[in-house]
Amino acid sequence: MSAAVLTRLKNEYGAARAALPGSVIDTHRRSEAIETLCAQGLPAGREENWRYTNLRVLERARFAPAQPSAEALPALPEPLTGFARYVFVDGRLRSLATAPHGVTVRSLLSGGAPDGPWRFASELPEARLALLNEAFATDAACIEVRPETDGAGIELVFLAAAGADSGASYPRVRLALNSGARLTVVERHIGAGEASSLVNSAVRVELAANAHLTHYRLQQCAARTAWFDTLTAQLAADARYDLLAVGTGALASRSTVHAQLTGRAAQLTLSAAALGAAQQSQDMYALSEHLAARTSTVQTFRGIASDRSRVAFNGKIAVREQAAGTDSRQSLRGLLDGAQAEIDLRPQLEIYTDEVRCSHGATAGKLDENMLFYLLSRGIAPEVAQHLLKWAFLEDVVAKIELAQLRRQIEHGLAGQMREAVALRELL
Amino acid sequence: MLIIENLHTTVDGKEILKGLQLTVPEGEVHAVMGPNGSGKSTLAHVLAGRPGYAITAGTVRFRGRDLLALSPEERAREGLFLGFQYPVEIPGVNNVYLLKAAVNAARKHRGLPEVDAFEFLTLVREKMRLMRMDESMLSRGVNEGFSGGEKKRNEILQMLVLEPSLAVLDETDSGLDIDALKVVASGVNTLRAPNRSLVLVTHYQRLLEHIVPDRVHVLVNGRIVRSGDRTLALELEQRGYDWLIGEAA
Repeated sequence: MSAAVLTRLKNEYGAARAALPGSVIDTHRRSEAIETLCAQGLPAGREENWRYTNLRVLERARFAPAQPSAEALPALPEPLTGFARYVFVDGRLRSLATAPHGVTVRSLLSGGAPDGPWRFASELPEARLALLNEAFATDAACIEVRPETDGAGIELVFLAAAGADSGASYPRVRLALNSGARLTVVERHIGAGEASSLVNSAVRVELAANAHLTHYRLQQCAARTAWFDTLTAQLAADARYDLLAVGTGALASRSTVHAQLTGRAAQLTLSAAALGAAQQSQDMYALSEHLAARTSTVQTFRGIASDRSRVAFNGKIAVREQAAGTDSRQSLRGLLDGAQAEIDLRPQLEIYTDEVRCSHGATAGKLDENMLFYLLSRGIAPEVAQHLLKWAFLEDVVAKIELAQLRRQIEHGLAGQMREAVALRELL
Repeated sequence: MLIIENLHTTVDGKEILKGLQLTVPEGEVHAVMGPNGSGKSTLAHVLAGRPGYAITAGTVRFRGRDLLALSPEERAREGLFLGFQYPVEIPGVNNVYLLKAAVNAARKHRGLPEVDAFEFLTLVREKMRLMRMDESMLSRGVNEGFSGGEKKRNEILQMLVLEPSLAVLDETDSGLDIDALKVVASGVNTLRAPNRSLVLVTHYQRLLEHIVPDRVHVLVNGRIVRSGDRTLALELEQRGYDWLIGEAA
């Protein structure tokens, strides 16, 4: 990344600083974030864990946040039954809902008591784009959950509406579950129209002892969007974090997930599916850091790359000295659907203690010829057969979506012409 | 129904079928028997249109049409069914979806409307009872986690639902215990009809005790070397194939 981009970044920050809301993040911290980021430099393709990211989009991006827009909202996905929906336009809260019992949702822009300082604890170079968010964030959603919730859920919709020339969008979320609390969160990133835009999101998850968060993340940004995302999570003892991410949108998409399992017997399941078509790049880096005994991680990735797209998943499990009895499983699979498509899968394992059970597998290949012929021999058209097999390939992840309504939405999104399959599955 | 003339086929440059002749009239059940490597499975796959088999000479006519000019899916929609020796597992593709998609593909081909979902399920459940299959298998992935015998039963179930004009069953008896064999055979027998033909590709005579063939053909080294009535199968059971291999050489 050229020095010119960093200079431009500093200049844009200098010009925007005065207008950035101090109730979200105070100016001192914002300036610190920019300095740290500039000292480290923007991610570069020569760095091992960024090499599959399309970083060119940052060269022409405008970093200062888009101005608030008063335009009417485009059609949003059908609301999920039992979920309180909060809509953010270009990173600012637009519509407030009534929070479910036991849950507090606050927008830091809209006032109320300022939240104590919270940071993205990760020092990882892979997580440093969260600093960009910290410098420019225009709003933040703070969600706190007490144990007495009644099973209701929260839906966060982040809509990128502004074009790249008018500014970027900075979704920012903190999810804190108190001891024993449970919550399901659906987080959607969508785009309006054809405009290209830069979205840089930062999400912080804090799970106290025994808390259980089910977190669905859907990246369905518009076709020319550049989506850069950083999620950090901390899991205390016996906490459970089920994270399921589906990425189909954007031109350039990169998500970094850094989970720290700090409490005994904390459990993480990370399931991700990505579809790439045309010139898209879908890249995910996921680090699961085991810092306590008897912790577990299950990582499942299924990616399909079509046309000239690139789909990458770099999953790392690090088991530190104090994490004896760790159990981790990684299953990464990629499907190539085009001579010019690319799949890059990297399972990594770093173990500093004994008595662990860690397994991993990674395979990339084309559609299975035997399966294809079997379907053809039953009279199924070749394009339908291919579609079915791609569908089946993603099933390891899609089947984990427990919310039927959401699963249907995702299935429809993944395989538009297979409505019949969906309907029939419901029937049985 | 099926007329194969002088069929030559190579796989990876090696000739497997070497001038095969076979005629299966409408309404008849024919068994094709032969030793390992004689070309039985190749014949079944060539009829279904599996890629990787080069036809170097010969013709195959199916209900008056040039079968070899049709794609695999067109052959199926025209009423040809292949029962696989090794049915593949397709996790994530629902059994009942496959069945319904297959039935509708054939119906569309004939200009018929899509099958009614309720009637379809009723029909499938009835056929499943016949095949002594548990209904829960419907909502599972195609053959996913099925035992060998369950997979074969599932092949026959598909055949019963699709009601093909010509079914080619490739070693459907292999890997079946005697009870499963009876279930499979009774399933096949319900499909016998004056307008339907069956080709049973098999190694052993025992399947033919339960599905009595009109004709038995012996395939050796890529050609039919002998044809006869069902007593030929019994003779093979007693004498093996060696005497025919000698004759063919």
